[in-house]
Amino acid sequence: MESRVQRIFLAAGLVSALGFFNAPVFAADDKDKNNDGELGKIITPDIERRHIKEADLDLEDFEVGLYYGVLSVEDFGSNAVTGVTFSYHITEDFFAQANYGTSKTQKTSYELLSGGVELLTKNQRELSYYNISLGYNLLPGQVYITDKWRFNTGVYFVAGAGNTRFAEKDYFTYNLGAGFKFYATDWLLFDLSMRDYSFKHELFGNSKKTNNLESRLGVSVFF
Amino acid sequence: MKIKIEKRFNRSAKACAYCLGIFTLCSASLLLSASASAGDFWTLNWFTPDAPVEVTVNDAFINVYNAPGRGYPIFHVVERGETITLLKMKTDWIKIRTVRGIEGWIKRNDVLLTLGPDGQVPDFPDTTQADYLVDRFELGTAFGDFDGADSMSVNLGYRFTKNLSTEIRLAQNTGQYSDSQIIALAILHQPFPEWRISPFIGIGAGTLKTMPSSTLVQVEDRKDHILQASLGAYVHITGRFFLRAEYINDYVLTSRNTNEEVNEWKVGFNVFF
Repeated sequence: MESRVQRIFLAAGLVSALGFFNAPVFAADDKDKNNDGELGKIITPDIERRHIKEADLDLEDFEVGLYYGVLSVEDFGSNAVTGVTFSYHITEDFFAQANYGTSKTQKTSYELLSGGVELLTKNQRELSYYNISLGYNLLPGQVYITDKWRFNTGVYFVAGAGNTRFAEKDYFTYNLGAGFKFYATDWLLFDLSMRDYSFKHELFGNSKKTNNLESRLGVSVFF
Repeated sequence: MKIKIEKRFNRSAKACAYCLGIFTLCSASLLLSASASAGDFWTLNWFTPDAPVEVTVNDAFINVYNAPGRGYPIFHVVERGETITLLKMKTDWIKIRTVRGIEGWIKRNDVLLTLGPDGQVPDFPDTTQADYLVDRFELGTAFGDFDGADSMSVNLGYRFTKNLSTEIRLAQNTGQYSDSQIIALAILHQPFPEWRISPFIGIGAGTLKTMPSSTLVQVEDRKDHILQASLGAYVHITGRFFLRAEYINDYVLTSRNTNEEVNEWKVGFNVFF
């Protein structure tokens, strides 16, 4: 009887001891099997099983740039203009563009001829404008300089509205323009364009509609 | 076997673009430090290039264009089973590189004909669906008439659900006798977001600053509170691009005896991102 009980305990002890020692051995075995030799490598290749989302990709739809050009302000001469531009490319066809530019206007012919007359003070001669416009890439294209050397180009139209600050007053201004884009790389482009800014003012007494042409050259980067 | 292709990033030139992005990065890092713990933030290596985004073509073929535009020539095709690396996106185009190092552009929707490393189709939501717009920011501009004055406005909105969004409106009205500026906060409800022409109603409140022209009698600038009720419609043009037309009834709570009612009409465009 006693030996039988002992045998049961002994067996139980042995089994548990075996289990205790063997458990990690089995686990280690499993691991070894997977990394074992060439076959293991084929069965479990070292690939990161990640899920691809749109957010994994860098989106280059924004464009920021500087420009320099000539702005002809009706009655106030042709003047250098500098500005910044910020665009968002909505689709391959449409883009929205915000512009801000500053210029310093000259004296009118009347002021020059009459001698001492000053229509505006020095501060009032400063002109600045901002606008938001919608652009359309009308003629996308490419230029081929050599067999392998090609650049993307595009002719676009742009129209919008904004405000011009001149003679210390704001004037609501419509703008219309067109330009030519030359993409040096995917993300760097040169932009030669013309705009017409049209606004009404009463600086000479009566209300007068003016058209102010601007030609400019800009450089932009996409990010 | 994988062929490793050397990255041909012109780092010094790209640095230029990065400088411009620094401001964005600073604000982004502020956001990130708020969400991730401070420890994570400092140990993150910002300049490690991301792991390449690789997918395998799961259709007969995908056309590869030489520039991101529908009219540009297709100069290459990638076939079933071929692995391509997705480099970047520009509007509805994705720049890719093949195993042999050929670079070109594929249409954004063609990425749905590929499988990612996990054997799943990459997650590129359909931009024409109404639910795409949930949880997204909306930026727009509009031009119109504010009680005889020319008005130009911008709005920045956030869409909580398919139907409900909130927005901040800024407007500059340039008139013959006075200029004014409006800043307002509004809530919009769009009952049928899936319609191509989808109407909306909105209510808002804000302030109106009026600046009479200095060429007239010397009058002081006024600041009044306004309440707005608006009715309008979004017209879907393409992808994330909408036309928006709106009528706003502004109720100006003046400090004088009578309140003023001003009608405002505008047309503009909005973009979701």
